[in-house]
Amino acid sequence: MRIWYRNLDYLTIFAWAFLVAIGLVAIYSTTNGPSAEYLLESVRNNFWRQLTWVAISLGAGLACLFLPVHFFQRIAWVAYLGTLILLAVALLYGREVNGARSWLHIGGLSLQVSEVAKVGAVLAGAQLISTMRPNSSRVKYAVFLLGVFLTPMALILLQNDAGTALVFFAVAPIALFWSIWPAGMSIVMAATGVAGYFSVVHLPTAIAFSVLFTLLVLWQARERLYGVMAAVFSFGSIVAVLFALNKIFRPHQVARILSFTNPGAEEFRSGVGFHLVQSKAAIGSGGLAGKGFMEGTQTQGAYVPEQSTDFVFSIIGEEWGFIGSMVVISMFALLLVRAIRMGIHIKHPFGSMAAVGIAGIFLVHVFVNIGMVVGLLPVIGIPLPFVSYGGSAMLANTVLLAILLNLHMRRDDFPIYVY
Amino acid sequence: MYDYKLRGRVFIGVIVVAMGLLSLRLAQLQLIQTDNYTVESETNALQERRVLPARGAIYDRAGRVLVNNEPSYTITITPRNFDRANIPLLADLLEIPDSVVSARFTELRRYSAFQSGKAFRDVPEDVFSRVAENFYRLPGVGYDRDFRRRYHTEATAAHVLGYVREITDNELVRLGGEGYRQGDLIGKSGLESGYESRLRGRLGSEIKIVNVHGLEVKSWQDGAFDNAPKNGYDIHLGLDSDLQALAESLFVGKRGGAVALDVNSGDILALVSMPDYEPDVFTESMDPATWNNLVTSPEKPLYNRATMNRLAPGSTWKPFMALMALQEGKITPTEHIYCPGYHRLGGPNVFRDMHVHGSIAMEEAIEQSCNTFFFELMMRTDVEVFSKYAHMFGFGQRVSADIGEQGAGLIPDSAYFNQRFPGWGPGFTINLGVGQGDMGVTPLQLARYVAAVANRGMLYTPHLVTRMVHQETGETLYPKIPAPEKLPIDEAHFDVVREGMKRVMEAGTGKWIQIPGIPSGGKTGTAQASHGRKDDSVFILFAPYDNPQIAVAVQVENAGFGAVAAGPIGSLMAEQYLTGSISSSPERQSILRSVLAVQSELLYKEDDEHGEADGESAESEPGDDA
Repeated sequence: MRIWYRNLDYLTIFAWAFLVAIGLVAIYSTTNGPSAEYLLESVRNNFWRQLTWVAISLGAGLACLFLPVHFFQRIAWVAYLGTLILLAVALLYGREVNGARSWLHIGGLSLQVSEVAKVGAVLAGAQLISTMRPNSSRVKYAVFLLGVFLTPMALILLQNDAGTALVFFAVAPIALFWSIWPAGMSIVMAATGVAGYFSVVHLPTAIAFSVLFTLLVLWQARERLYGVMAAVFSFGSIVAVLFALNKIFRPHQVARILSFTNPGAEEFRSGVGFHLVQSKAAIGSGGLAGKGFMEGTQTQGAYVPEQSTDFVFSIIGEEWGFIGSMVVISMFALLLVRAIRMGIHIKHPFGSMAAVGIAGIFLVHVFVNIGMVVGLLPVIGIPLPFVSYGGSAMLANTVLLAILLNLHMRRDDFPIYVY
Repeated sequence: MYDYKLRGRVFIGVIVVAMGLLSLRLAQLQLIQTDNYTVESETNALQERRVLPARGAIYDRAGRVLVNNEPSYTITITPRNFDRANIPLLADLLEIPDSVVSARFTELRRYSAFQSGKAFRDVPEDVFSRVAENFYRLPGVGYDRDFRRRYHTEATAAHVLGYVREITDNELVRLGGEGYRQGDLIGKSGLESGYESRLRGRLGSEIKIVNVHGLEVKSWQDGAFDNAPKNGYDIHLGLDSDLQALAESLFVGKRGGAVALDVNSGDILALVSMPDYEPDVFTESMDPATWNNLVTSPEKPLYNRATMNRLAPGSTWKPFMALMALQEGKITPTEHIYCPGYHRLGGPNVFRDMHVHGSIAMEEAIEQSCNTFFFELMMRTDVEVFSKYAHMFGFGQRVSADIGEQGAGLIPDSAYFNQRFPGWGPGFTINLGVGQGDMGVTPLQLARYVAAVANRGMLYTPHLVTRMVHQETGETLYPKIPAPEKLPIDEAHFDVVREGMKRVMEAGTGKWIQIPGIPSGGKTGTAQASHGRKDDSVFILFAPYDNPQIAVAVQVENAGFGAVAAGPIGSLMAEQYLTGSISSSPERQSILRSVLAVQSELLYKEDDEHGEADGESAESEPGDDA
């Protein structure tokens, strides 16, 4: 008999452990530093609570490592259905935290259902794709796949947790790209995102980009259709963004979205721009080597709101400097690249699809979170996986990673029969 | 099946681009623009806090503490950590009504929920320790240790020491650059004001990391950029606190001033102005009624009579006249002048004498205080010469030393008379010969003059401070005191005048107040007061006669003859200084009792206040050439 852990991807576990450790160090700095005495009683125990959650997550992750692959295939839809029910229950009876009604009290623990929902959605998406026959209607499956991600997204939006909803929204095209869409289509989608981003930041750049992109596609692509699509999507996203900003969103929402481009401006500084002004001051003042453990003035003074949760990266930037920041970025890059490589190795559509869904979720989290903290993106409240304070996210992300490791480790247990 | 390899490469490419973008952004923030953000984070989180130095103490000539600091406790409340349910407990401990605590709490919370606010200042020590024992069940309640001035000796010396008070808005505008802030204490008068910069020391500063609520978290860079405060200098005075205390007690019920000087240095041994006030009242928050009373009382307790009063010296002026006339050759020590009981200039009823002295020479004229004799000396002297000699002795001008509030007095010259009395003649100036008329002197000036007579012509500058010693370094500073001047008067003339003054104490008006066993020289004076009030009582004295140590000048307003009120005070002061106590002999004790019984004629609100009116107007009058 083969040793069961022979194919375990240790580099991934290393990256996970490293990131968790960095997160614990950052949280320890906020709760056990010189400023601890000014913290609320409930915040002072953050470090120990997080440590408890790490232990729980580790236990759950280990448990996942021992399960056979077909278990995940079999429970995929059940888990998905359970997820939707939990989301609905939270929506109706949940507790509100920071304006989002996405928390359930189970026993002594409070669980952020929207975080846990990622597991069900990824498994269901993978199961859906692995049942797709070569002669199936691609359009039909594409719609199903979108539905798998957008249904929980809708419920989460209703819970008023826009950040987590965005993750589901962004993972859907990644899943499509991996399974159904032609590769060219994903370039068009990426261009759509870029055009949308610049229409918030700098409209002329967005227009120039769209014109150049359309011309490029017309010149390179064999089919005219691609050129038309390029034009429709890139210009469409500009129009959509402008329409949303001017007609749909209320002024305070617009201010929140636009404020990241110039958070220090008079009208934003003490309001919607406050997070970013403080976070950039923290990170920028960290310099090359940082101010040192528990020496960050911004961190110890609690200037950055939500500094141990969504803005945890500001602590690392301030106290550990550019070097520390790059270590974190490298660890995430390592983790993501390993996840993709595992997705390629698994070969079976279920495992491969799950791997990419998981990698996509992490990528969106990391890019949006750090992008927000460094002022590249609007302030969207999602945590940094494995680093931010928060038990539900730690549990969900660790379980996702453990499932990926398991599927990769036991990839040979998948039925050889491939459609 | 699916080409995962290609898609995998695309995905990895996306990851690399995404992480690359974040890395570039981080490099921009942390490597290129780090200086800007460092400034931003420092202006945010670093706050410079002042560290107050300890204010210097004040010692007397024997090294006894007159004033230093004592801790005062302020109960603070941090509203956010305070439990409203504890209001009754705290109120109980402080012995104040619940409603007061509740109101104070609400006030503080409105200001800031996070900052600890000064809730109850100057809590008495026993109350404080009671509260302190209960801190454990009063979360959010703490204390600040402040300092307040504490006065130690029986001597009040209010006009010497002055007082400190919370800085006013006007002073803040004026002195803001020197680091004063709202709520700081600042010297308002006397030495506390004059030596403010020395006493106060230099402010220190600490750079603290403050959190988003403005609360101190810790020192920045372990205090590498902190400046320790430099404490103030302790001030040592020439003042003898026993003498000061005695003089103050002798002045009870009287108005006036007295100054005692060390004849050989100009050290001020005592400086009394009565009525006075307790400097203590300024250290606590004063109720408006007390302040009102201090400011509007007709007796003007804040006014320094010892250095600002402008009273006629009366007969104490005669030794001066004698010295001037002898030096100017207007008379010799043996020349006799006939006294019919008045000066012939105005006939029997104008420039009168108390007695018919007959033919009289200098020493006897001083002893007997013969007015006719000194009227005649003034008749022989030009008023310009008079003015010159008076200024020579320091009259008509302020003393350039460390006594803040001073009047110049008034010494007239011909210009003064030309302006005031056009067509004036000898009838206008003859009164000056007996220290009456258009002139005025302060007790401080009188004392300085007596000291110069006592030591035969060395004019010292009276001063309070002898040295300043730094509390920590021991560094000693000496005040800049102008050097003594030798008066251009023949020493032989001083001998004549001193002899006359000795005879005053042995056989004249000062006989009954001789210091037992110590020969001295003195002169009483009885000066007409304005507004038809009782005469002002004046006395000058130096002792011991042969080797003078102390010179005293006393003015008691509206108290009658010089020998009745001012004389005994001066004599007892000299005895106290020279022997360390007042003799228990029946004579001295009866003098003591009698002088304690003397009172100044009462002032009433509607009256024009005597000394003060003069003193205040002195500023703008022509005799003032300081």
